[in-house]
Amino acid sequence: MQYIFSSNFTKLLENLKSDYEIYIPVKKGEQRFYKKYIDFTDDIVIGEVRAFEPLKSFFFRAREIVAENFKSDIPHTSQKPYCIVGMKACDLKGLKIHDYVFKNHDFQDPFYINRRKDNLIISADCTSAIDTCFCLALNVKPYPLENFDINLSEVGEDFIVEVGSPKGKRLVEKYSFLFEEIKDKFLSQRNEQREKVTKAVEKNIKENKIPQQDSFKGIIERGYESDIWADEADKCVECGACNTICPTCHCFLLYDQKDENRMARLRIWDSCMIKDFAQVAGGANPRPELWMRLRNRFEKKFDFFSKVANIYACTGCGRCISACPAKIDIRKILNRLVYDV
Amino acid sequence: MYKIKNPYRPIRAEITGVISETPTIKTIRIVPEEPITFETGQFIELTIPGIGEAPFTPSSRPAMKGIMELTVMSVGKVTKKVHELKNGDIVGVRGPFGKGYPIDRFKGKEILVVGGGCGFAPLRSLMYELFDRSGEFKKLFFRGGCKTPQELLYRGEIADWAKRKDLDIKLSVDKGDSGWKGNVGVVTTILDGIDMDYESGIAIVCGPPVMMKFSTKKLLDIGFKEENVYLSMEKNMSCGIGKCGHCRLGIYYACKDGPVFSYDKVKDFSNIWE
Repeated sequence: MQYIFSSNFTKLLENLKSDYEIYIPVKKGEQRFYKKYIDFTDDIVIGEVRAFEPLKSFFFRAREIVAENFKSDIPHTSQKPYCIVGMKACDLKGLKIHDYVFKNHDFQDPFYINRRKDNLIISADCTSAIDTCFCLALNVKPYPLENFDINLSEVGEDFIVEVGSPKGKRLVEKYSFLFEEIKDKFLSQRNEQREKVTKAVEKNIKENKIPQQDSFKGIIERGYESDIWADEADKCVECGACNTICPTCHCFLLYDQKDENRMARLRIWDSCMIKDFAQVAGGANPRPELWMRLRNRFEKKFDFFSKVANIYACTGCGRCISACPAKIDIRKILNRLVYDV
Repeated sequence: MYKIKNPYRPIRAEITGVISETPTIKTIRIVPEEPITFETGQFIELTIPGIGEAPFTPSSRPAMKGIMELTVMSVGKVTKKVHELKNGDIVGVRGPFGKGYPIDRFKGKEILVVGGGCGFAPLRSLMYELFDRSGEFKKLFFRGGCKTPQELLYRGEIADWAKRKDLDIKLSVDKGDSGWKGNVGVVTTILDGIDMDYESGIAIVCGPPVMMKFSTKKLLDIGFKEENVYLSMEKNMSCGIGKCGHCRLGIYYACKDGPVFSYDKVKDFSNIWE
């Protein structure tokens, strides 16, 4: 492990600018949002907690053209690859799910792969938790352990640097003049901080009685006919915000431009909570009721993904809890499925 | 750059024939610019430029190269436009996608094909494949039904099929007319008393959801094994490669793991007939 002073970190980012399009979290009010890095401004926050928006949007765009005029080439830009700074452990798990869907499973998606392959992920420890954080229930620690190139642990104004990939190793070697050898006292500082954030998330889990993922096996099958679904979906307004904001949701709609003289196909994020999501042209709909679609959303995350990929497609980021205008709460539904069925 | 084919790009194709089958069903013949070969039961996505795409299982003989036929009922925005197509019009085709009928597994067996209404379309392709490989099977049976004699697809061809020695065929309509000589009643009424061994036989069912549901039930009642009953599941297939999420059926995506499934694979999932 190494250490980097904040002044040198700024220099590192300056150097990376020539190879990457850098995005970094900044704070606005109580929220953090990603913006393109130009200078190291005061509003930049490397630590703290996850950003407001899911980071899937860098690799799986909310809207993009995937085919035009029957041409066989894959539309691509000359844009530099992304360097995402300050990515938190929950979003790294989101990337893992998307890697499975678009890259590693059966067929490959050239659009995702092209964006993902040359990118640089500089992740960071959470240095605080907000009350919707429950990553630990999904066995995700509030500090990255995998799927990053280098990870930063904020210690005072500076950072402990951990290498997580060959690409990260090459980067640290290339810019070795910016890094120092780590001192033991910084490591113990990091451990204290990690423990503090872990305790804060544990407190959230205890207060909201959120079950651990070890108890999720079979909850969908057992609770399939339960009235939990109708009960919980009662106030749903079918806005699809839970899907849009979720770092693991990957469903999309292929949508053709309405111009009969020109063929252009767009891919836009879709939502399984919307009524016609699974409906066929003949009219048959396997999920005509809202509660069936809520159940389907949970089935996809906690049954389908666990069976096909041995992973639960939830990161414990809590974004869907904040986004839902009807206050439908994934923590409560998981609690009811585990304890009430 | 990764050298992966763009899976969302349709291949340009020209319409070279349009046949009106019934008042609501037409068969279009298309010639793609680049050759597309398919196995019977696989599906393609047809693009109508400016409108969108929809999934269809070709109704033509797989061995007929360079040409593909699609039999389409006008039910939605894409199929309505399909019905307006004429010779020379340009469409797009993606695919083929998914897994078709596992013909090799049918070798040496008696095969019963059960069709209903517009479900005759994929089955026409299947029948021609079975005819082309007829010597590999013990015996072929076809049982088909539709609402009225006017709605019977491929009447001329079916009359020719009836002359084949390797095929035992029987048809039924829900409501007959003065010219109808066949059975009257839903298709399940002609599934009894077929001269085959149900327990070792293969059954293939394709038709509207309600017909599939009751035919499957009937086939299991008369002795077919769950793993020998093959169904073409109609789901909202869109991307064709198991990414967009629309056609999920339990742990499967109909577009890549189906659309043909044996009944035992899907029986435990909810609302499979919807």
